[in-house]
Amino acid sequence: MKEIMAVVRMKKTGATKKALVAAGVAGFTAVKVSGRGRLVTDPARIEECREKLLSMSNDDSGEKQDTEQVVTSFLDGSRFFPRRLFTILAHDDDVPRIVEAITNVNRTEHGIGDGAIFVMQILDAVRVRTGESGEAAIW
Amino acid sequence: MLLIRAIVRPEKKDDVLAELSSAGFNAATMVDVVGRGKQKGIRIGGMVYDEIPKTLILVAIQDADKDKVVKTILKTAKTGSDGTFGDGKIFVSPIEEVYTISKGAPIL
Repeated sequence: MKEIMAVVRMKKTGATKKALVAAGVAGFTAVKVSGRGRLVTDPARIEECREKLLSMSNDDSGEKQDTEQVVTSFLDGSRFFPRRLFTILAHDDDVPRIVEAITNVNRTEHGIGDGAIFVMQILDAVRVRTGESGEAAIW
Repeated sequence: MLLIRAIVRPEKKDDVLAELSSAGFNAATMVDVVGRGKQKGIRIGGMVYDEIPKTLILVAIQDADKDKVVKTILKTAKTGSDGTFGDGKIFVSPIEEVYTISKGAPIL
């Protein structure tokens, strides 16, 4: 038995759920979390993003410094972004299939911030309704 | 690889995360949770509060970094010189596989 913890974009929650159903795994637990990960290291890309964000700001608000501070915090990796944490219990054999399904729907062209998947060993599981335990308790 | 789950006071989470970041562990996930400890919650007057708000911080790390991360969290999440009830807990569990979705590869 394995526990798969997947952190995905909020926007991809629906797609992930569909992909899980298609992979034959209907049951999951999801929590709203906030997360941060690896930083973009390409300075050209950061600068491009920064200019884009700054150009969106309201020039005559007189809070240019605040805006810059917010924009910088977006790009230096110190800010947490909303994400969804899926917890899925799976039989050992199904893990590669599920990981692939989640990876496929969650990859974006941004190349960063798409989340992470952790796979952990589970020692036992019990279905409350029937009291059955072990592999039988997982769908 | 290891998954560190640290339950800390919500007012301490910024300190802990900043300290982790400067120690080189920028990636983290956090969840607002409620819980109680072995003191069975807090009794104020006749009222028992046993759903005390805490923040759960998840950090995935390499095995070799365990001591560093645990020490960092222990140091920053503690309140007072001797610590106080309610400062939280740290759980460490092994991860078998890690996938970074944007890379599409099994790397941390």
